[in-house]
Amino acid sequence: MLAAMGTAAIQTHGLTRNFGALTAVQDVTLSIAPGQFFGFLGPNGAGKSTTIKMLTGLLEPSAGSIEILGQPFTAGSLELKRQIGVVPEGMALLGRLTAPEYLRFVGRMYCLDKDTTNRRTEELLEFMQLANESRKLVTDFSHGMQKKLALAAAVIHGPKVLFLDEPFEGVDAIAAGMLKSMLQGMISRGATIFLTTHVLEIVERLCSHVAIISQGRLVANGSLEELRAGVASSLPGTESGQRLTLEEIFLSIVGAGAVETQQELSWLS
Amino acid sequence: MAVLIESGSTFSRMSRAQYRALAAVRWSMFKNSLRSTQGAIEFGASSVAFIIYGLMGLGLAVGLGAGAFGAAVNDEWSMLSLILWVLFVIWQVVPVALASVQAQFDLEGLLRFPVGFGAYFLLHLIFGFIDVSTIIGALCCLGVWIGIVAARPSIFAWSAFSLGAFALFNVFLVRAIFAWIDRWLAQRRTREIVSVVFFLALLGLQFLNPAFRGQSTSHARHVTANELKTVDSIQRWLPPGLAASAISKSADHAVDKSAESLSVLGLYMLAAGGVLALRLRAEYRGENLGYAPSRKTEMRHRGRWLIDGSGPIAAVIEKELRTLMRALPLLYGIGAPLLMVFIFSGLYRSTGSMGVHAAPMALLISLGYALVGFTQIFYNNLGAEGPGIQLLFLSPTPIRTVILAKNLFYGVLYLVDAALVYVLASMRLGKPTPIALASTAAWLLFSLPVHFAAGNAFSLYMPYRIRLGRIGRQRGSQTSNVLSMLIQVGVLGVGAGVFALCAWFDRLWISVPIFLVLAVVAIIIWLRVLRLSDSLANRLRENLITTLAKTE
Repeated sequence: MLAAMGTAAIQTHGLTRNFGALTAVQDVTLSIAPGQFFGFLGPNGAGKSTTIKMLTGLLEPSAGSIEILGQPFTAGSLELKRQIGVVPEGMALLGRLTAPEYLRFVGRMYCLDKDTTNRRTEELLEFMQLANESRKLVTDFSHGMQKKLALAAAVIHGPKVLFLDEPFEGVDAIAAGMLKSMLQGMISRGATIFLTTHVLEIVERLCSHVAIISQGRLVANGSLEELRAGVASSLPGTESGQRLTLEEIFLSIVGAGAVETQQELSWLS
Repeated sequence: MAVLIESGSTFSRMSRAQYRALAAVRWSMFKNSLRSTQGAIEFGASSVAFIIYGLMGLGLAVGLGAGAFGAAVNDEWSMLSLILWVLFVIWQVVPVALASVQAQFDLEGLLRFPVGFGAYFLLHLIFGFIDVSTIIGALCCLGVWIGIVAARPSIFAWSAFSLGAFALFNVFLVRAIFAWIDRWLAQRRTREIVSVVFFLALLGLQFLNPAFRGQSTSHARHVTANELKTVDSIQRWLPPGLAASAISKSADHAVDKSAESLSVLGLYMLAAGGVLALRLRAEYRGENLGYAPSRKTEMRHRGRWLIDGSGPIAAVIEKELRTLMRALPLLYGIGAPLLMVFIFSGLYRSTGSMGVHAAPMALLISLGYALVGFTQIFYNNLGAEGPGIQLLFLSPTPIRTVILAKNLFYGVLYLVDAALVYVLASMRLGKPTPIALASTAAWLLFSLPVHFAAGNAFSLYMPYRIRLGRIGRQRGSQTSNVLSMLIQVGVLGVGAGVFALCAWFDRLWISVPIFLVLAVVAIIIWLRVLRLSDSLANRLRENLITTLAKTE
């Protein structure tokens, strides 16, 4: 398991969220060190987005606590929010603005001065290849363009901790490559990134540490090597020294049963 | 085993199965909406609203029916024509007025299923039939028909055909107008053109005033009489005039002439249906409304008209202004009451026995009515954020700052609207005395903070999403609408009551300190609500995000 060095960038203790009788997230305890690229995986409905919403103040935990950069975090922690960037599930865009207008709005909401906001807006639009679309309303953007804009908005204020909920969904391969290098650049400058995605290949390539959540519970947490070793030792058919892919690790932890049961749909057989 | 059923016409097995499925899903949505307390309250408020609309419809139906009876008994068929014109205006205007407050179902979502065009068109019509305006319109048509048949039982069939065709024409036309406006609002350029045309139309209203004023001379009356004759000859060939003509000719036993009018009316009906079908066909085929400007245009617009100032308050104000300029439904809401103020002021002018305070009282009522246009903005001030509401919670800017900025922006906007109302009312009724003006201004100082305080609380407790690209097919909150209307009536009632009482004792100046004291209390409450809004928003954030960011 992860041993945090000094103050953790993100720390949770017994994080739980109930929706009526349903427990969406149960007793999740995490410690993510500064500068870590952290992948948070799980099947659909496992509780990934609910966890991110709690970590960013969009959802109140039913139980447990959250610390960001060593300080207790609640929805009212405004100073801490200046240090956080988020691409939430719904992207949080304002459809009736153009991309530059939206980025300028976000910059000022994060208390950047006007010149900085304008400079960063132009730079981000160029970087995200959205500069040619600066007259188009956000509502008319394609899904991929909206994702890029949401990501631009999440980093405009230079956050120390970045939460990304499916940031690469709908983004083309060229843009995805650029985004990955941008995120790696942020990591090298000491930022912490908390990423959820269904594209395991991206996690494998980018993330140093991974946690897997299933049915609301944390079922694995550690570095990729630690997870590999743990799974290899528990799988009977695995040869020693075999390098398991993240997909194999993921399936062995949460999806083995589903894959092994070769169900067929009656009308497609 | 194959379970696919054959596709085909509007009434094929597949289409019928789809209608049943749609009815079932609507029923399920209704049942599910009752699961939450808010849904149950919403249902209660909707029921109350429908009862109110029903009573309005019945009242109108009785009134128009009585008018039709009088016209038929006295053989004054031009009166029936006038009645049908009134009905036509109600049918076409009411849906726009109710667009933001009545829940509607967006049928475009059905296009991902194998729905035939005939079925899609039919469903549009069916949803048109269960629209509040159609119910009111149909009740009125029924009232008119009963009135005519009571006076002339022999023409019950012809009048039924004529009024039926007239009703169908109205249903087609109102749906076509909505479909085309939604189309224009879907693209930025057409949306901006529509906004400009709308504002020019509003400005054009101002020129009606001098036109009406010139009627006092005999020459002007003569010219007006000639113009009325021209108007009458034109209106005979328009749907309300044709329906009236078909009925009147059948009463005169001129069946051929009656059939001629009915046929032309039928052509209008088909034309309106065709216009609607044309739009729905494009929707059905999945038109691409994508739009990208040329590089040249982009360069020309860069850096244009950026409001200076930094910080979250300026940012929110700038965002609100930009959003408003691209949101016809909100602009319509703000601008439409000006038309009613014009009519109100005309009514006051025509009643000369209202006393010396009639004009200032009309100004106060007009200002109160202009506030109606701001209901959605004041009482659901986060509704237009959509998924962007998440940003407000993610950013380090407190929600109270956002709400304060919105209050300031829309407060100033209302004052601009109020200034226009003042100019309009002064032109029609003459300038109010300084004391009456001071009293009205003091009432405004009381009224605005009350609406801000209540509106901010409503916006957090009863939010609903406003879809800015649409003038119809919105999902409002009846609870919020009904309660906000009650507050508006209350605030206006306090103003009118104090004003009338002071005027009665011929001490109008006393109303100024009374309103100022009320204003101080209202401002304290507003500031208190603002202070509480952060904790309130955090407590209610899940509902706010779920309601405003949902994709449906």
